[in-house]
Amino acid sequence: MSAEMVLSVFRGEPRDGAEHEYRVPLAPGMVVLDAIRWIQAQLVPDLAVRWNCKAARCGSCAAEIDGRPKLMCKTRLDAYRGRVLHVRPLHTFPLVRDLVTDVSWNYRVAQRIPPPATALPAPLNMQARDVGRSQEFHRCIECWLCQDVCHVLREHGGQGQYVGPRFVAKIAESEMHPLDVGDRIDFLVAESGIGLCNVTRCCQEVCPEAIRITDNAIIPLKERVADRDWDPVRRLTRRWRRRAGRSGPPGRTGG
Amino acid sequence: MALSHDVLVVGAGLAGMRAALAAQAAGADVAIVTKVYPVRSHSNAAQGGINAALNPEDSWESHAYDTVKGSDYLGDQDAIEILAREAPGAIVELERMGVVFNRDEHGRLGSRNFGGASHARTYFVGDFTGQAILHVLYEQLVKSGIRTYNEHFCSQLLADGGGAVAGVTAFDMRSGEVLQIGARAVVLCTGGIGRVFEPSTNALICTGDGSALAYRAGAPLMDMEMVQFHPTTLKSNGALISESARGEGGYLLNSEGERFMKKTAPNAMELASRDVVSRAAQIEINEGRGVDGCVLLDVRHLGAAKIMERLPQIRELGLEFAGADMITDPVPVLPGMHYQMGGIRTDVHGATPIAGLYAAGECACVSVHGGNRLGANSLLETVVFGRRAGAAAAEFASGRKAASLPESLRDDEERRLRTLVERPGTERTAALRLEMGTTMTRQVGVFRDEPTLRDAERKLALLRERFAGVSIGDKGRLFNQALVAALELDFMLDLARTVVAGAIARTESRGAHTRVDHPRRNDAEWLRHTLCHHTPDGPVVSTAPVTITQWEPTERKY
Repeated sequence: MSAEMVLSVFRGEPRDGAEHEYRVPLAPGMVVLDAIRWIQAQLVPDLAVRWNCKAARCGSCAAEIDGRPKLMCKTRLDAYRGRVLHVRPLHTFPLVRDLVTDVSWNYRVAQRIPPPATALPAPLNMQARDVGRSQEFHRCIECWLCQDVCHVLREHGGQGQYVGPRFVAKIAESEMHPLDVGDRIDFLVAESGIGLCNVTRCCQEVCPEAIRITDNAIIPLKERVADRDWDPVRRLTRRWRRRAGRSGPPGRTGG
Repeated sequence: MALSHDVLVVGAGLAGMRAALAAQAAGADVAIVTKVYPVRSHSNAAQGGINAALNPEDSWESHAYDTVKGSDYLGDQDAIEILAREAPGAIVELERMGVVFNRDEHGRLGSRNFGGASHARTYFVGDFTGQAILHVLYEQLVKSGIRTYNEHFCSQLLADGGGAVAGVTAFDMRSGEVLQIGARAVVLCTGGIGRVFEPSTNALICTGDGSALAYRAGAPLMDMEMVQFHPTTLKSNGALISESARGEGGYLLNSEGERFMKKTAPNAMELASRDVVSRAAQIEINEGRGVDGCVLLDVRHLGAAKIMERLPQIRELGLEFAGADMITDPVPVLPGMHYQMGGIRTDVHGATPIAGLYAAGECACVSVHGGNRLGANSLLETVVFGRRAGAAAAEFASGRKAASLPESLRDDEERRLRTLVERPGTERTAALRLEMGTTMTRQVGVFRDEPTLRDAERKLALLRERFAGVSIGDKGRLFNQALVAALELDFMLDLARTVVAGAIARTESRGAHTRVDHPRRNDAEWLRHTLCHHTPDGPVVSTAPVTITQWEPTERKY
């Protein structure tokens, strides 16, 4: 086996970094992570990179491969044969070193997401087709590819305003639970920033779990918000109630 | 700043998070140290499901008996009874937290068949059960406000003057800063030792850190020779194809297209327990009836619709890593290292013989799995015994004053790590790790005999010596994975030797441990646990009796 490939891998720290080229011998079925681990084991032991399960389950090894956010463990090298393959860290999050970024912002957002709330005592009685709608979002491995590609977070510095596609999907996971009784509309309106999403569907395109984030989470939740918060009759009722001194906080829906 | 907690949990997989939540519920101030982020833990790889006798036609006794039989009578029956009795409550609790299990046609919890089980009692979320539970428990953890030291590598257990555990040292992988964290009780939930073998279905972080920490601190490791080889792993990267493929009706075929399981398990066929199926598959391969070193897993007859509904992830794995679409083609599979039944010896409350030190999950050995774990009992073990260990640790902590440890321990550890990073040497971690892993797979695999094990013992002792010459290729502080890899290798070299020591000592064939030179189970001498004790010259083995409550050992047939 003499086939080789050249990987151009970003190395460095926040203010001082550049791509470096490494020659890697190819084996059948090899993925980008195999190549990166080979580089780390054989050529540059001080290459910093996160990995764990090597089977697209843990979500650790997200990177930008040839400019596209992907999991390194799931991206085969044979698709890129004959040219230099660029591997860079996620762009949206602050760089720590080499391919490692500081993704802790996401975990801080996670703390703000309202949890599921079922009123009935388990075990619950639910139909399989209803369960499926919530289960789709349970597939999420939190690899942050959708957060990385989302232009609100990536280009427009939206991290103070928008929770990002992953967490809209997380809210949908509870909202679509057949027996959930929680009300997240206030949170969606006032805190999630869901209105900033203009439905370009980039997030669902990069999802390694093929979760239809835009179609099945963002759009339905935008509709719920519109239905409850933007309905002209309900707005009027709310205003009237506020005037009558019986209102809740702003953005709260009427009866 | 001196950090201190009542209960410190090491590891944030299912067992760790469940233990932390239980300890907090018991009133303790709790924190978790984890070398990754909690949702990255290897629990997310568990595909098939979680066992419980919830169906009215099923019973906890039946679940317990299947587990005892599956363990080849090496499991401690008092612990197994607890596991089976507490299982239904655990499932209901998970559902209440928000785990959305699959349903049956009446809308009730739906179950599937699993190997070695006499009823369909495996509850599941598609084929990503572990991941679904992991993320829901993480949600609970976030809600609880429990502090997590993420991406912190726990490098040492600290003891007070009386020998009780009093905390840990850990370093922040992102900054390199070394911390000393005091604790009145420590719960180790660090998972399995998978990477001691190469290949393994386990994630790369499964390096048995907690097992090694406990072992070095003087806690014995029990039944370490009991290593489960899963019958269906992919050749290319060792990835696991879940037992649910067979649970849903998949066949195992040899090169002649024959369902070879009929020779060894005419009743249970493909759903005999894993040790039985792995041995049968290995025999086919060894005797020339394999296909390119594998046997074939065939689910085509289930039809595309059922495969897509019940096994989507598995099909995806086949497509990605074996280049085969299970809807149209059988997938080549072979037995691969999957699970460690042995581990840190604990009682049914997760307590180790060291005061203040607890363990739960794969790193612990209660022992509910004995010589062979049944599929879908491991997720169950993590939540049942994670909860018990967390509660017991909180109780222990509440009755004990915090030990005042000298702050200098932190400085000592920092100096030790610095010396390690800077020491000269010509050996490379990656090369030693590979040599250890391939030695274990080749010489301590499905079939074992004394000369081969002795040779492995010699090789491992040599690797231990060579480790002193390892030079760490990264001299920096930020995200120094070379240092982490070296510390992990240091741990694993100790653990590999305990596996071999147990395998040499146990001169019989029981469960997953098959000695070609001692092909029979020998209850007269070996209805006993092996215990490995740490000494500077390597492991020393003793034995301890197995607890039998109501099921006397008989011959095992499937």
